[in-house]
Amino acid sequence: MLKYIKTVLKDALLVFNRELKLLIHDGGAMIILIAAGFLYPILYNYMYSNGVLEDTPIAVVDEADCSDSRRMIREIDATREVAIVAHCTDMQEARELFQKRKVNGIIYFPSDFGDVLASRQTAKFSIYADMSSFLYYKNLLMGSEFVMLSEINEIKIDRFMDSGLTAQEAAQSVHTIQYEDNNPYNRAFSYSIFLLSAIFLLIIQQVMFYVMSLIAGTQREENRSFATLPGAMRGRGVVRIVLGRGGAYWLIFMIIGLYVACIVPAMFKFPQRGDFADIVYLVTIFVVDCVFFSMTWSTLITRRESVFILLLFMSPVCLFLTGCSWPTTAFPAFWKYFSYLLPTTFGAPAFINMNTAGADLVTELDLVRYLHIQTIVYFVTACIAVYLENYVIRHKDEIVSNFFEARQRYRKTEK
Amino acid sequence: MSKMKSVKQIRDVVRRELRIWQKRPIYLIGSVLVMLFCTVFYLSFLKEGVPSDVPIAIVDLDGSSTSRNFASQLDATQLGKVVHFDTFEEARRHLQSGDITSICILPEGFNRDIQSQRQPTISFYINGLYFLGGSLAWKDLLTMVNLTAGAVQRNVLQAKGVAPSQMDGLLRPVDIDIHQIGNATMNYGAYLANMMLPGMLQMVIVIIMIYSLGTELKYGTSRHLLDTAGNITNALAGKFLLYTLLFTAIGFSLELILYKWMGFPLAGKLGNMLLAVFLMIIAAESVGVFIIGCVPVCRFAISVGSLYSVLGLSLTGFTLPIEAMPLPLRGLSYMYPLRYYYMFYIQEGIFASGFAGWYVYAAVLLLFLLLPAFVMKRLEHAYIYQDYERN
Repeated sequence: MLKYIKTVLKDALLVFNRELKLLIHDGGAMIILIAAGFLYPILYNYMYSNGVLEDTPIAVVDEADCSDSRRMIREIDATREVAIVAHCTDMQEARELFQKRKVNGIIYFPSDFGDVLASRQTAKFSIYADMSSFLYYKNLLMGSEFVMLSEINEIKIDRFMDSGLTAQEAAQSVHTIQYEDNNPYNRAFSYSIFLLSAIFLLIIQQVMFYVMSLIAGTQREENRSFATLPGAMRGRGVVRIVLGRGGAYWLIFMIIGLYVACIVPAMFKFPQRGDFADIVYLVTIFVVDCVFFSMTWSTLITRRESVFILLLFMSPVCLFLTGCSWPTTAFPAFWKYFSYLLPTTFGAPAFINMNTAGADLVTELDLVRYLHIQTIVYFVTACIAVYLENYVIRHKDEIVSNFFEARQRYRKTEK
Repeated sequence: MSKMKSVKQIRDVVRRELRIWQKRPIYLIGSVLVMLFCTVFYLSFLKEGVPSDVPIAIVDLDGSSTSRNFASQLDATQLGKVVHFDTFEEARRHLQSGDITSICILPEGFNRDIQSQRQPTISFYINGLYFLGGSLAWKDLLTMVNLTAGAVQRNVLQAKGVAPSQMDGLLRPVDIDIHQIGNATMNYGAYLANMMLPGMLQMVIVIIMIYSLGTELKYGTSRHLLDTAGNITNALAGKFLLYTLLFTAIGFSLELILYKWMGFPLAGKLGNMLLAVFLMIIAAESVGVFIIGCVPVCRFAISVGSLYSVLGLSLTGFTLPIEAMPLPLRGLSYMYPLRYYYMFYIQEGIFASGFAGWYVYAAVLLLFLLLPAFVMKRLEHAYIYQDYERN
């Protein structure tokens, strides 16, 4: 028994060495590995380092020109979200600036604003937001709503007092309900924290899949598939191949994984609230999952370049399926099930919850459990895939002749 | 006479390419099928437009009719779906693992304090990591607080004998009229699909173009191509012609699906958007030719093309605007046809400003056509001598 295990490990080590050599000597794969694995995390971080858009430039058209409108304009200008860069005399002028994209929004106070306010009716002002990016809209809305709400309370107190309430009653009923809001994991409401975390894990998964497919595709083009087992073993030894090859990728991608999950966030002063050991455990299991995931699916790649032609488009699809922009709860059922095929579906949320929200393995038990189950399933499918491919290679002639026989039989019966 | 010959040679290249398509279906699978999948994905995945039933946790420490009413009204909003928890600790765990977007704590004595005007404080905890869900839940909660407060104020004022006609002005002295230019319904699906799908098209074009020219080197058929074409110009022209037809068919279908079939908002003319996508297609093809010309080794060129086109989706700036990115990356964004398509779309689709608004972007897209000229000699050399690493 011990001897058997020893042989298995020895064989696996041979495969492991061979795979590493193949990988390192493959220029196309190394470009992807180095550029996408090591440079892209930095590049993306750099790109989204300002996750918060501040001081969106807007134009103001103040036809009311009363003390109220002027005060509100000053207050809006003072918010973090918005900066007033132009005071226009009419909408025509503002619209031109809008169209030329000198401003990304317009605030318009109609001429009767002051009068309506004085007559104790609801006075309305308008905002026009450029929807080419939702962040412009969000900034303009938040800036002006914030000012409106604080103004409303001031005005209400006055009006309530006019309606017969005492000053104290008025103040109390205006602030009937107080609220305090906390955004503990993302104080500045940065758009990029989740996106970046999801991108990090996605990079591990996709780069591994592409690199493995490139190598496997090249081998198949040259008719020396990795799945070929030594003839004497007669189809046994699948596990050796899977472990040996997997080990090579695991080693390389653990380096990328730890780099991406621990070093890059530290470099960019990203919040790192998780326990180090928990994160390392998560990355380890995630990388193992990705190894078997890639090994299973790369079976479909018969030629080197076809992986990029057929599956490059999956990278943004996978990103959406992590739930980083559209909330997971609103996924259509089909895509929800579809997403269970991908390691990032479980890995990315688990990583962000641990790394940024400070959750631990126990809180993330569900996601981590799914990740384990997925790993086991993909290990089995990877073994099956290698076995089948090996079988097909060895029995190619038989299969082909069987196929032709069957076709002939079929034609005969048709006649 | 030589012109006639060129036309014939180009036609031969097209025929040759069609035979290649027939033998190797990957060209059509990689373009038509991939775009079909992407279209189905982005349109069905985001079909709701605005997320609904975002889970919001309520920890009701009061248990009064007012607090229950607050919860059930929040649940009744289209956006929110209330999940009840007994303790904050339990809710916090779910917030931390992203199952819920926010927690709203209704304090003990909530009802009593409202009635006696002691101003109870509701606490919100938002998980801002889940950006869209978190910000929508926050907005929903704020609205609910204002509505509840408004109802209480209405009662107080009624008791003081304020006439109903004056009530609105008292409760809401200032209001904002919101105009969302270019996407009035705030349809998130339209917003993303509008740029994601052309983005995927750009990706497909660059990769397929590189592959089509690169396989000639890989399988050593480049001399045969040159023999058929007579010279490199005709060879490129033939390929360019055929792929332009293919991608234009895909691109036009895409625009029709987006703006006709799905009815996504478009302020300007559909015809101009067709022009925009056409210009983006030929610009992206030129980028593909440029990459394989610079790196005439199929395996490297495809890797470079993939790295290039994946980055293009972010650098278009339709999610995080370009001006929020560091300066060097803003420069990088000029390398992408999709960026100009986006600027074109803003002018035509959002402002309907017509030719005067977008002619600059159209012109830049046309400038991309010059790219192949820089690498033509180099590519010809590689095609003749096949002296680069083949695989």
